[in-house]
Amino acid sequence: MNFLAASIESLGAKVVGWFTVGYGMFAFLAKAGLLLLEPATWNRATFDVVVKQIYFTAVQILHVFLGYALVISWLIITIILSTARDFGLTEFASEMTIRVLVLELLPFLTALFVALRSGSAINTEVALMQVNNELDALAHCKVPPMQFEFLPRLIGGVVSVVTLAGLAGLLALLMGYLAIYGMNVAGFEPYTRTIAKIFDFRIMAGLIAKCALFGLAVTLIPVTAGLETPKKLFMVPVSVLRGMMRVFFAIVAIEVVSLALKYI
Amino acid sequence: MAAVDALPDDVARVALDLPLRANLSALDNIALIPLYQRHYSAAESSRLAQAMLDQLGYAGIAPLRDPDMTPAQRFVTKLARALILKRPRLVIDRPGAMLYDVAYPSFIRQLAVQAEMTGTWEIFDFSWNQALYQA
Amino acid sequence: MNKLHFKVGLFAAASLVLAAVFIVYLLHARGFFEKTFHLQLAAASADGVAPGVPVVFSGIEIGRVTTLGLNENGGIIIHTEFLSRNAKWLKENSSFTLDKPIVGGAKIRVDSPDLRAPALPDNATMLLLTSDISKEIPALVERVKAILANVEYLTRKDGEINATLANVKTVTGRMTGEYGVLEGVLGSPEKARAVTDSLDKTRALIAKLDAMTAKTDQWLFAQDGMAEQTKASLAQVRLMLNDAQSSLKKADAVMANAVEISANVKDGTQDIAKLRAEIDDAVRKANGLINEINKKWPFAREPEVKLP
Repeated sequence: MNFLAASIESLGAKVVGWFTVGYGMFAFLAKAGLLLLEPATWNRATFDVVVKQIYFTAVQILHVFLGYALVISWLIITIILSTARDFGLTEFASEMTIRVLVLELLPFLTALFVALRSGSAINTEVALMQVNNELDALAHCKVPPMQFEFLPRLIGGVVSVVTLAGLAGLLALLMGYLAIYGMNVAGFEPYTRTIAKIFDFRIMAGLIAKCALFGLAVTLIPVTAGLETPKKLFMVPVSVLRGMMRVFFAIVAIEVVSLALKYI
Repeated sequence: MAAVDALPDDVARVALDLPLRANLSALDNIALIPLYQRHYSAAESSRLAQAMLDQLGYAGIAPLRDPDMTPAQRFVTKLARALILKRPRLVIDRPGAMLYDVAYPSFIRQLAVQAEMTGTWEIFDFSWNQALYQA
Repeated sequence: MNKLHFKVGLFAAASLVLAAVFIVYLLHARGFFEKTFHLQLAAASADGVAPGVPVVFSGIEIGRVTTLGLNENGGIIIHTEFLSRNAKWLKENSSFTLDKPIVGGAKIRVDSPDLRAPALPDNATMLLLTSDISKEIPALVERVKAILANVEYLTRKDGEINATLANVKTVTGRMTGEYGVLEGVLGSPEKARAVTDSLDKTRALIAKLDAMTAKTDQWLFAQDGMAEQTKASLAQVRLMLNDAQSSLKKADAVMANAVEISANVKDGTQDIAKLRAEIDDAVRKANGLINEINKKWPFAREPEVKLP
């Protein structure tokens, strides 16, 4: 009996914990959203910080990222093409390649890439700010940190993931064309037809929304996880660990929901 | 120091537990306040911050970040940040903790002369350090 | 010059340019810059046609159904849309056929036998044909299924027939009803009507099967270079059809007999038992027939199979 009560209690504690985390995240998001509506936010200083964030999140890693996208795309395209040839389904190969790579795999990998690189860095930095009292110092000065610390990171994350996924997708489209038709323009007509068939308005809007959500998840969750850190230095790794777990679950959840919306 | 923690909102504090933002330069740390509290433009805020550092005689530390500063430079930056808040009272909380490598009573006095601020600076310190201020 | 800002600016400009180029390309691919070409198709039935059903020419999609509607006379008008670059495949002598395979979605097939013929004008109205093969067999299968359901209901183990047979005494009392002995045996006029109805349906099915057999004969003996495999499976279909036909005929005879017998209750019950066995047999065979048709049909749907 005691055991049952204890397990129910621990379950309850977990549920309450999840709700608290979720509530904190959405409250933070709402605050950031409201701040976006304020005209005072749109000044040169905020813009400079956003530019800096985009530089660190997207531009600095661009060559590495594109190289990696190139290798992954080439590999997947080759696998799909040779399998399709083996099963006599070549006419579906180009559509399959585009759907798998551009719509699903590359946005997902981009989100993971940015999460591993920038998400973990953001989480650590915010946790250290919290532990070091830097946030208290800002509060004492009555300077809200949202505008120059958190909001630019969120914007930078969204812009970076959308742009990187878009660039990787374009690269994959080019690679797919070269792999299927080779270095000539003969395949332009049928390839264009396939692209036109896949990318209708709904798919494009869904793709951009999905990438934006990915970008938000890989920045918002680390920020809120960092803010939750207790003021003890040894809690910083724990905070990063928790934040990155949540980021991973969020990315998978977004992908699953988008697939469900698309195909069910 | 319960007395310090209970200080009202209109007091600007310089204290060990109110550190500088670590990834911003001294100038940016000071410029944050006119920039985000009074919504001045970025250029105007930087100018005000630089003027404050010039007045205190530490114009050269503007591009330094927290880890690159000596305790005295760090203290001056914190003091400049507190001054630019333009609050009626300024409290220096246990200066010995921040200025551990200089004779801080005279150091602060010298800064106070340069700052030419209206109002007084209050220093909260341990009673056993009282002798230091008599000199 | 701020190097960081320069790099971000370069990145942003390149991304924006690429995005713009891609969007323009996509709009071009989806025909945003082209005029669309419209075509109305008049059809007898819009079964299986819905907005989005593709219009294919030589296996390549060239257009789509946009809306369906009725005209003043209750006829069905299917509106289709083409990119103007695809409109050149639509000629005055093109034929439009609704293809509704058993497996896969419906599509409208365009056949343009002479590509030198004059092109169709915009907003023309053409007739939509329904290919016989795909229409007749599913309809037939549906009908057979309905009959089978009916027969199976009547002959299930704990059904009315058995119960009534066990209680012969009450039977004799009802012999004077509208449906005679059948009503007596089955317990009520409604049930008796069900049997006579299924008798009628069986007869209709036999007529249908006759027609089918004739058709398979035509398919078989027409010398139009049909593939061997198709021939073989068609022959099998014919055999099965014959089989089903003969057992249904037997059932028909027995049922007719059952209606006629009124003098001898004992004979009648015996015949009813026999009827049940026969119907069971017919059910089994017809079930097999349906399964076989379902299995073989994709074979028979070779493109060269043109119905007379």
